[in-house]
Amino acid sequence: MTKSIFRDGDVIAGALTAALGTYITVTAARWDVMGPEGPGPGFFPVGYGIALIILSLILIFQRFTAARHTEEDRPFDWAGFRRAAITWVAFTASTALMPTLGFYISFGLLTLFLGLFVFEKPVKSALTAGVLSAVGFYLVFDMALDVSLPAGMLGF
Amino acid sequence: MNRRILLTTALAMGAALVAPAAHAQWKPTRPIELVVHSGPGGGNDVMGRALVSAIDEAKLSPVRIQVSNKVGGGGATAASYLSEKKGDPHVIGIFTSVWVTNPLVQQEANVSMRDLTPISLMVLEPALIVVRADSPYKAMAELMDAAKANPGKMKQSGGSPLARDALVRTVLQAKTGGRWAFISFPSGGERISALLGGHVDMMVIEPQEAGELIRSGKIRALAQVTDARLPDFKDIPTLKEAGFDVPNPPQPRGVVGPPGMAPDVLAYYVDLIARANKSAGWQKFLRDGILEENLLGPKETAEFLAKTETQMRGILTESGVKLVR
Amino acid sequence: MDIFAGLAHGFSVALMPSNLLWCLVGCFLGTIVGILPGLGPAATIAMLLPMTYSMSPTSGIIMLTGIYYGAKYGGSTTSILLNMPGESSSVVTCIDGYQMARKGRAGAALGIAAIASFIAGSFGIIALSVMAPPIAVFALSFSSPEYFALMALGLALVVLLAGDSLVKGLIALLVGLWLTSIGTDLFTSQSRFTFGQTSLLSGLDFMIVAIGVFAITEVLSSISDQEETQVLPVPKGFRNLLPNWEELKACRFAFANGSIVGFIIGVLPGAGASIASFISYGIERAFSRHPEKFGTGVPEGVAAPEGANNADTGGALIPLLTLGIPGGGTTAILLSALVLWGVKPGPLMMTESPDVFWGLVASLYIGNVMLLILNLPMVPLFAQILRIPVYILHPLIFGVSVIGAYSVAGRVFDILMLAGFGALGFAMARLKFPVAPLVLGFVLGDAMERALRQSLMMSQGDLSILISRPISAGMLIFAVGVLFLPLLPRFRRLKEAAS
Repeated sequence: MTKSIFRDGDVIAGALTAALGTYITVTAARWDVMGPEGPGPGFFPVGYGIALIILSLILIFQRFTAARHTEEDRPFDWAGFRRAAITWVAFTASTALMPTLGFYISFGLLTLFLGLFVFEKPVKSALTAGVLSAVGFYLVFDMALDVSLPAGMLGF
Repeated sequence: MNRRILLTTALAMGAALVAPAAHAQWKPTRPIELVVHSGPGGGNDVMGRALVSAIDEAKLSPVRIQVSNKVGGGGATAASYLSEKKGDPHVIGIFTSVWVTNPLVQQEANVSMRDLTPISLMVLEPALIVVRADSPYKAMAELMDAAKANPGKMKQSGGSPLARDALVRTVLQAKTGGRWAFISFPSGGERISALLGGHVDMMVIEPQEAGELIRSGKIRALAQVTDARLPDFKDIPTLKEAGFDVPNPPQPRGVVGPPGMAPDVLAYYVDLIARANKSAGWQKFLRDGILEENLLGPKETAEFLAKTETQMRGILTESGVKLVR
Repeated sequence: MDIFAGLAHGFSVALMPSNLLWCLVGCFLGTIVGILPGLGPAATIAMLLPMTYSMSPTSGIIMLTGIYYGAKYGGSTTSILLNMPGESSSVVTCIDGYQMARKGRAGAALGIAAIASFIAGSFGIIALSVMAPPIAVFALSFSSPEYFALMALGLALVVLLAGDSLVKGLIALLVGLWLTSIGTDLFTSQSRFTFGQTSLLSGLDFMIVAIGVFAITEVLSSISDQEETQVLPVPKGFRNLLPNWEELKACRFAFANGSIVGFIIGVLPGAGASIASFISYGIERAFSRHPEKFGTGVPEGVAAPEGANNADTGGALIPLLTLGIPGGGTTAILLSALVLWGVKPGPLMMTESPDVFWGLVASLYIGNVMLLILNLPMVPLFAQILRIPVYILHPLIFGVSVIGAYSVAGRVFDILMLAGFGALGFAMARLKFPVAPLVLGFVLGDAMERALRQSLMMSQGDLSILISRPISAGMLIFAVGVLFLPLLPRFRRLKEAAS
């Protein structure tokens, strides 16, 4: 099966970075590029913005010319991607909870969640891991080292 | 100046005495968070920690005071953190002049000193204008004449265009008609290195940074940016004495609270700062740092800041910085 | 006082039992601070400073400085074991150190890091004691054009870090340059790419970017690949936990390179340990006989940056002690400590406070030995961390990363940025973009832009300032040479393909 070239990773990445390059260049061009006292805040960004556009186009171009013989036909690992995505969402969600629940509880919950749903461990081991990690972190960073961490409603 | 301190202190003491009669006197019940806008080792952090240790040493606070570094945005991060703590009596912060200037030029820095509760101005930081020891300029007038004779050729190393050293340049340029380049460096170390290496011609420097280099004959001070001569630098004329009657852009540091601080809470902190100001630890810090003691109460501090803001607006506009507010 | 008399006097001070004890305390605390994210040397020193008021200045500075260089020793531990830099100067160590750990050579990598730190650290200290004043003069001759050339040299080395696709490497580099310009422009106070966020005014912190694209990405990748219960192999037996003779021999040049590069860059107030470690790594690779193996876990790739960030200590203390100029946050706080104790750091300190000056220098020799003795036996112990099952270890890495990110400025916003960079790194890994150029671009970009603009302001817009000064011209020529070095075989291949 031949994949559509537009779903090729390099082409997508190239399109994204080209868009980023355009954004950078357009934004930076509005600032002083060359002022009376020397190069302005736009000087450098305009330079690397344009370079980014050029390189992105080269990347896409390379793919179109070389697509036929370098294509590796390994199917995309959707299951793996899903696991990583769940992990990332859980991590971000636990961060969002920190201002309310505090670091230690959020972190324990994250450990519990990952143990259950990503590593598919039995409830007992996941729960133990969650509680022990949270308590361990509390002992090391709060009690022993006095590192300040996001505190929740409960004060820790 | 001395009378003003006396007055403020008396006022603060008075407030502390009167307060219990009016309403129950407030006392902190949790550790107090002292917000500073620089990382460990930065000017604000050093001042915050010196204040805390002076208070601890004199046992002035019933609870622990903890310095918390909310770094970034030239004070904007710390200011916006304080503004989020509206009504929280256990958070205070250290402000400096950038808390005044930053909101003027940055759209994102949307918390000004007027939104917060000024508690006490504590110090004014003096400055010196220095050149390298082997520089041909022995007096301020010679330096300024040279700058006028070679427009754009001479260079000054400094910090951000909002910093005091840049403002001093602006007022001097406006006064003398000379023009020279202002080259920004992120850290004090790099600014001094540029001067010592002979890559720039002059610098506006804090006396404490310059003290040892002057004493060892590496650099020479031409003038001091103060209203009166500092006791440590008796031989060096002020800008006015050197013939340059320009406004001295102040570099104030003091203590500020979140918006809407209750009067009894404010009275507590005013009293705490007034007593900390007299403590041995703080007085030593002022001496070591060659800082000018300048204690003001909340009302006077607010007035001072308002005056500073107007002055800064003028100088910044003069130097070509775009104001957003 | 001449150097040997000075050193002899210094040792007589540093070897006093109380000073020895404080030196040990400082080194031990420093190691812990280096290992644990969330605790930086600068914050720790600031926290402990009030406790040292009652000590003699010499004991105080010996202990606090111990924290400073001890942290650099410890910083590599998490880089190697968890792909998570403990300190900004240990970011480069992740590249080859973590790969060595993946190959079952975690103990060896930790051992090499300790040995490289010791050798280069000692070199830095010897150089500090022998030639502090002349080196300080050299450092002052460095101005913006020279800094620009140095950063350009660093960026040229990116070509070598690019991996398979030069284009992808350069794109990653440019994205790094963009990320580093987010925030307030130093010269004009113009805010750039801040999307109206107050939190972005100060820009992104290097540690958040590095922990995101290294540690978080690594966890996501390994979860995605479903690596089983134990992350990495840990060989049995004590002998396999330490570097073997071949590995040490491969590092010969790296020890010297790290020592010299780290020391020279350390002396410059405008550079710093992370830049030193990157450049040392790049040079190591440029002159290697097997550059293609870098990034797959070669011992030189650990020795060079770890050496450089420790030699940096000796260098960084020179402007501090001889001129009273701090090069960074940690040295700034050491400076304010000295002032508090009534010692006046500056050109006269060596003669007016010989006890403090030479006592400190001598304590560095002693501390360096102590650190080696403290660290080597811990190597086998630390390597056991990798035996923790993944379902505990992976969340643990998350937790430690969060602490590292939060400690930068105390904002939950930064933890969200950390998650963002984890996702970016993961996407880059899937699309086969190398992350090292991005991180390098981030470290060097800001300093490079600054140096270029400063130079042009100094010369009133005349670009020739960059090539008319000997040191700057020399480095730029070297940078161009480095650029063409790896291109040669490519051209040859192209020619062959064409004919």
